[in-house]
Amino acid sequence: MVTFTRLALAVLAGLASSAALAQDKPTLTIYTYDGFASEWGPGVPLKEGFEKTCGCTVNWVAADSSIGTLRRVQLEGETTEADIIVGLDTAIAGEARATGLFAEHGLALDNLVLPGQWTDAQFVPFDYSHFAFMHDTDSMPEPPTSFEELIALPENVKIAIQDPRSATPGLGLVLWVKAAYGDRAGEIWQGLAPHILTVTREWSESYSLFLEGEVDMVLSYTTSPAYHILEEDDETIKAALFEEGHLPQIEVAGILKSSEQQDLARDFLAYLTSQEGQAVIPTTNWMFPVVDLGGKLNPVFATLPQPEKSLSLAEEEIAADSRAWIAEMLAAMQ
Amino acid sequence: MSPKAVRHILPPRPWRVRAAALLAAAVGLLIAAVLWAIVSAAAGQPAAAGSRLDIAHLVRMTALQAGLTTVLSLAVGVALAWCLNRLRFPGRGLVIGLFSAAIVTPGIVVAFGLLSVWGRNGWINRTAETLLGAPIGNIAFGLGGILFAHVVLDAAFAARVLLARLDAVPDARLKIGQSLGLGPFRRFALIDWPAISGALPGLAAIIFLLAFTSFPIVLLLGGGPANQTLEVAIYAAVRQDFDLNGAVLLALVQIAACSFVILAASALPPVPTSLGPTAGQRWRDRPVAQLVQWLVLAVCLVGFLAPLLAVLADGVSAGLSVLAQANFWRAAAASLVIGTLSALLAVTLALTLGMGRAASSQPLLRTGLSLPVFAYLAVPAVVLSLGFFLLVRALGVAPGSAAPYVVVIANALLSLPFAAATLGPPIEAIARTRGKLIRSLGISGLRQFLAVEYPLIGRDIGIALALAFCFSLGDLGVIALFGTQDFQTLPLMMYRALGSYRSNDAAAIAAILLVLTIVAFVGLPRLVERLSNARA
Repeated sequence: MVTFTRLALAVLAGLASSAALAQDKPTLTIYTYDGFASEWGPGVPLKEGFEKTCGCTVNWVAADSSIGTLRRVQLEGETTEADIIVGLDTAIAGEARATGLFAEHGLALDNLVLPGQWTDAQFVPFDYSHFAFMHDTDSMPEPPTSFEELIALPENVKIAIQDPRSATPGLGLVLWVKAAYGDRAGEIWQGLAPHILTVTREWSESYSLFLEGEVDMVLSYTTSPAYHILEEDDETIKAALFEEGHLPQIEVAGILKSSEQQDLARDFLAYLTSQEGQAVIPTTNWMFPVVDLGGKLNPVFATLPQPEKSLSLAEEEIAADSRAWIAEMLAAMQ
Repeated sequence: MSPKAVRHILPPRPWRVRAAALLAAAVGLLIAAVLWAIVSAAAGQPAAAGSRLDIAHLVRMTALQAGLTTVLSLAVGVALAWCLNRLRFPGRGLVIGLFSAAIVTPGIVVAFGLLSVWGRNGWINRTAETLLGAPIGNIAFGLGGILFAHVVLDAAFAARVLLARLDAVPDARLKIGQSLGLGPFRRFALIDWPAISGALPGLAAIIFLLAFTSFPIVLLLGGGPANQTLEVAIYAAVRQDFDLNGAVLLALVQIAACSFVILAASALPPVPTSLGPTAGQRWRDRPVAQLVQWLVLAVCLVGFLAPLLAVLADGVSAGLSVLAQANFWRAAAASLVIGTLSALLAVTLALTLGMGRAASSQPLLRTGLSLPVFAYLAVPAVVLSLGFFLLVRALGVAPGSAAPYVVVIANALLSLPFAAATLGPPIEAIARTRGKLIRSLGISGLRQFLAVEYPLIGRDIGIALALAFCFSLGDLGVIALFGTQDFQTLPLMMYRALGSYRSNDAAAIAAILLVLTIVAFVGLPRLVERLSNARA
């Protein structure tokens, strides 16, 4: 038994330290969320691509969610090992900025293709997509074309959404309703409430409910159908476009002030927004790239219907009021 | 039996009591350190906006849900144990293993299994639609859905523990009962009830705490913020508001509420129970009672096993292409090593605490020694995760390299209540029924364990090992903040697959986890029993 325990401890130590890295090369430590660093995500090819030229080792550290990465550096403060966080979004960028932990990126970023102008001095965008409700054309051939049409549907039409306190799409929906309806947002939530089968902690749980046929629609992204078309040859899953317009989620990366490798970190962000880095994103993170990839973008992405109107909310407004908006949404659910 | 009377029976075992007291203190210190770490981190944070939570309402709602879950689970568990004790059929061992597998399977897997059967698009509704022309509706959501899922998880576990007690009723008692011609009711009241009632308070406490702190199921099936638990509110306080002081306050409320339940359960005097499976005295009940037993078993099979079969079926139909990935095998190896280590740790802790408790006759000391068993259940996972993270950093260790050790410790604490519920009653029983003999023979503590206790509780140790092993196959909540790309276990890989649209891979991993769980449940107790018999 003792031998076994010792053996097991050795294996355990091996598991923990397989990241023990060659000391002659600098290590770039990047915090991100689970999905990004998983074997299916963009983390693996980005690491390979950047390591070819940087003479460094990229070390992904995955927290369970993007807000988790921010909380972790907030806890660690100046002593954080992280050089970069990848995977925050514009909805929490204001809160992240207020921590004072992020440095200016110093990149020109003049070739971006994004909804709206990009002027942020600290955060660098690396992909985006508009929030939208998915439907299955087999069971719902004619989806609603606005929140109000969705509300008017019979009560047995059910949707699944995510908790705005734990999942970025959940927060995105709260902001979307606010951007589209302003003071009427509370009323919209009251109307949606009977249709909401459940509010899940993560995006993946509600998306699974949708795939299992437990709900008619689920909050996801206009680019989600690309996964089903390309990986499963399934054309029946589509995003419903709403007349009010859609709010985009723009995912961003930022360099920590405390990093001792500001130049290397900046090089990584430059790589992340380069043609080569961006070419990885669409078919691993299932979002749009932020630069024009031309022929390198899988043609399926061009076939995905996109909203005519892209909504936006000012960062200051989000930072000041998002808590009250979440409370408004939760009150309507009770 | 009064404490005084007990003291004259028990052989003096000061070292056992000391070791248990030391462990209890260590666990207590660990929890205190976790909370302290968070409070001191909170001191560096700007004051967060005041919490708008109605704590009293949350506690009431959560307690109501947990109370209902406990009553229902125990009722179903007793009924199921009663049936399984009476009936003999081919594959009985496998069925028992399957029943127990539910509680250790990741909650989210069971929840989706339930939906495959009972959901809007599930087997039952589809069948009803074909046969009756209309679905029976969606019963899997709301308070009903939460209770249903909890009962599936907890009643099967209760049945497993209670069945072990029933199977241990001595042949002599059964022979007397049979010769007196006891009917099914009187047999239950006179023979079965005394055998299982000792295990009920501990079980009730565990089930109540599990339901009180249940998280993924409540969020998925609860239908939204209207059905919240305190644990969900704590998660929101930490994650959304980053209100660490508020989180500690809520955690203390939860710990207080849970401690109340634990104290109430452990203050009850222990009831002597019998030991070990008996030779298998067969005494069938009357045909009517047998019919009822078969019916109950059939209903439970449909209710409990169908969701698990659905998980297996989904996994197989999704294709097992995940087996071809090198990462899968690394994750599987990590899971097995961690499962084995935390199972050994959990059983060691449970034995030490249980033997210390059994060796002491002071009620206050006994209560003190039973508290740490529930530490993990009472402290919210998100608070533990945060506290462990801060502690590891305070020790100057990189969280990434500490992750496997933290998972082993956390998983051992997680499975401790279950291991203790399995091992505690038989250890008590030995102390009370053989204490006098051991005392008069002047056997040493070590020999008492090797010659008396180990052979008698070998099978229970096996069950406890299996439980603890499977629990740590399923749980990962505690390293939310620790993760690195290199350290991955099967459930973590499953969540990552789900988060990357790979629902097929996730379904396959869920099915594999379930198979591993069942194998461990059926195999481990037999293995350990064989070892302990060989020794005896």
